[in-house]
Amino acid sequence: MLRFLALLLAALIAVPAFAQSVVQTDNVRAELVSDVATVKPGEPFWVGLHQTIRPKWHTYWKNPGESGLPTEITWTLPAGAKADAIVWPTPALFDIGGITNYGFKDEAMLLVRITPPADLTGPLKIAAEANWLVCEDVCIPEEGKFELTLASGAAATPAPPAVRTLFEAARRRVPMESPWPARYGVAKSGDPTLIIEAKGLKADTIRDVYFFPAEWGAVATMAKQTASVTAEGIRIPLRKGEAKTAMPERLAGTLVLTEKTADGTVKQAFDVSAKLDPAFVPAPVSLAGAASGEPLSLVQALLFALLGGLILNLMPCVFPVLAMKAAAFARLAGQGQSEMRRDGLAYTAGVLASFAAMAAIVVSIRASVGDVAWGFQFQSPVFSLLIAYLFFTVGLNLSGVFDVGGRLAGVGQGLVARGGTTGAFFTGVLAVIVATPCTAPFMAAALGFALSQPAPATVAVLLAMGLGLALPYLALSFTPALQRLMPRPGAWMDRLRQFLAFPMYASAVWMIWVLTQQTGSDGVLYALGGMILIAFAVWLLRLGGGASLGTWLRRGLAAAAVLLAFAATLKLEDGPATAASASGGQTSGVNFEGWERFSRARMAEAVAAGQPVFVDFTAAWCITCLVNERVALETPATKKAFEQAGVVKLKGDWTNRDDEITGVLKEVGRAGVPLYLFWAPGAAAPKILPQVLTEAMILSELSSIQQTKR
Amino acid sequence: MSNFSVPRRSLFLGSVALALVPAAAFATSSPDLGKPAPLFTAVDSNGKSWSLADLKGKVVVLETTNHDCPYVRKHYNGKNMQAQQREAAAKGVVWLTTASNATGEQGAVTPAQANDLTRSRDAAPAAVLIDPQSKIARAYGATVTPHMYIIDAKGVLVYKGGIDSIPSSNVADIPKATQYVRVALDEVLAGKPVTQASTQAYGCTMKYPKTST
Repeated sequence: MLRFLALLLAALIAVPAFAQSVVQTDNVRAELVSDVATVKPGEPFWVGLHQTIRPKWHTYWKNPGESGLPTEITWTLPAGAKADAIVWPTPALFDIGGITNYGFKDEAMLLVRITPPADLTGPLKIAAEANWLVCEDVCIPEEGKFELTLASGAAATPAPPAVRTLFEAARRRVPMESPWPARYGVAKSGDPTLIIEAKGLKADTIRDVYFFPAEWGAVATMAKQTASVTAEGIRIPLRKGEAKTAMPERLAGTLVLTEKTADGTVKQAFDVSAKLDPAFVPAPVSLAGAASGEPLSLVQALLFALLGGLILNLMPCVFPVLAMKAAAFARLAGQGQSEMRRDGLAYTAGVLASFAAMAAIVVSIRASVGDVAWGFQFQSPVFSLLIAYLFFTVGLNLSGVFDVGGRLAGVGQGLVARGGTTGAFFTGVLAVIVATPCTAPFMAAALGFALSQPAPATVAVLLAMGLGLALPYLALSFTPALQRLMPRPGAWMDRLRQFLAFPMYASAVWMIWVLTQQTGSDGVLYALGGMILIAFAVWLLRLGGGASLGTWLRRGLAAAAVLLAFAATLKLEDGPATAASASGGQTSGVNFEGWERFSRARMAEAVAAGQPVFVDFTAAWCITCLVNERVALETPATKKAFEQAGVVKLKGDWTNRDDEITGVLKEVGRAGVPLYLFWAPGAAAPKILPQVLTEAMILSELSSIQQTKR
Repeated sequence: MSNFSVPRRSLFLGSVALALVPAAAFATSSPDLGKPAPLFTAVDSNGKSWSLADLKGKVVVLETTNHDCPYVRKHYNGKNMQAQQREAAAKGVVWLTTASNATGEQGAVTPAQANDLTRSRDAAPAAVLIDPQSKIARAYGATVTPHMYIIDAKGVLVYKGGIDSIPSSNVADIPKATQYVRVALDEVLAGKPVTQASTQAYGCTMKYPKTST
């Protein structure tokens, strides 16, 4: 009996090897935990200060914001041991009655890497003194002393499962290294703007972008940041901080954004280190910049939009249309003042009506889908192709291949040519149609504002922009003094018109280039082929008039040619993804290293052969996909486990639309990526893994098939 | 099992709970250095009226306070604040302590309480301004107590930030810290530009009036 008691006692004494030091204060339960039970001399391991915070109270991040203090830990370690700096979890933003703080609620695990001495013999004793400020509406500084004694041995042994789970959860909360380069520039006002070069993101899937500066000083703690997501990446206008020193070479911080995925939203955090880019001086008076500092008032927004519209007149695409208008004006010059005015008003009406239509589309799409990004139409290769055709046709007209008065003379052109008021109206419409694609990149920032506003403001801003576009004309038609400056009509008009065909052709070339970005090289084939057909149709129609059989035949043929040209658009709708794949997927940015390209046939074949199959449906613009790859799918441990289990790894790229993948997504009831399917050997159906993966999750899936094998 | 440490409370814990509830929607914009400091008029704990405009020609120090704040207590218990107030007074500097936490919030004081605190703490400011609507704090964009400001003889804001360089509630840290305000005051009085003119203030969150949203 005594011996039994002695054994029991020995067992109890052995327990402190796992000892966790707990400090319970009024508002925080803090515990020092280690991810190993036994340490190996010289081999680093992790400890964590785990704070369980009283509900509604919070502790602070390394940069606490406008008030507050970060938790500090002072270590007492044996000689030769080393403790690194705290690795912080992703912070949250708190508004304490108008004062902005960065910190944690409910719980926080502060991770620290400890390196024991290489010559360690016997147990390792770690002592720590921590102090933290904990606040609700009341702030209280608290502190605690912690001690942990860990046995040492030839090999490190892991902590009990509950503790390991704690660490795994904590590691998931640590921001990951940003996959994108970042830079920042300083405006003349001193306010910095951060650019995260995440190219190809979709604006409508990214929410709540916030940049937490790592340190006080360079950047102000802002209650709200207004980031914009464009094809170039994420642009975050910031406010300069209180420090009076020069801006740092590198601006560090944590970027937190919420991504909308098929099943809901996923919050992602990245550590960003942005290099100071002296060449980048954010414009002080841009909508994006203005929207950042103080919220832009509607009046200001309208003013900016008007300016933007004016500037549109200088865009090369619009220029030919305006020149046409100028020529028409010159013709009108001889006529009465009222004629001129009516013409100017009709043109303005055409422009405004088009902008109103655009606003209506934007507002209705937003109402049904939730959000819309400018240039949304450019995600559609069909649109790009149609615009290329339009440019080409207008170019042919300007070149004189067919007459302004000709029948079937191109999409708006016939109407444009219908002199007088109607013609002027449709010239306005044409100007807008032509202006939009050419200037989308330029207007992206400005329109970002309009799109983010409630419906009436969106409409107002877009209309103001239209007014800006029409304004020079309107002014001209109402000012006889300006009209007198116009040159007399003459042969120069024809020559100018012919010359202006060339910018139109150039615009068509540009649209075809855009198309290749969306579809790969096949797009060129369809576009140029379609243009030949259009030219052919124009030629047929010019051959002669009358009601003879030949004329009708030619008309039929022309119609067929045009139909065929437009049929190319259907082909495009079918094949963008395959085209992209054929060109090596270079535009998509999805990495296929170590993976086979997904096809249903390949999947079926591998499943039928009884092989385990893992399918990853991803897209270049899907951040969650990217994160999953980094933290779970492409880690050395997962790669090794995949290899050992003989898993067939298939990757489907949904960057562009792909009907095969869309079909699979639909079958499993998903609307988008990420989607992960895992077929265990011989399984009748795949297992759908969660959209946020961890390494442990993949490893446990793989080990379960290993076990069933045995 | 001997390794469990006894849960221990910090020195302040039992005694102090600081209400730090500003509920006002408050745009934390602080005035620019090198620009004229925001003017204010306030009545002190003895009923005397002070106006910044009247203090032209004198260097002025502003100190936001909340006597229940551990960070304020650190500097009063350590006699740091009182010492600097006396030094300033000896050099002809007007040191104004402003009790700017809103009425009903902790740290808000009546004139009598303010005078009691000055006596019991042996403090030596030129005056303790009673600012129950946080007007002064708001004008200066104060976020914490103590938040410190120096206004030069021309009425220009030349320093804003913390009292010193070690953000802790530990009195023992005072001698180790750079006393930003003292250094800056010496520079201002010597007619030199302030080298560290904007520093990170630390302390308890300011409590602005809840109603004034």
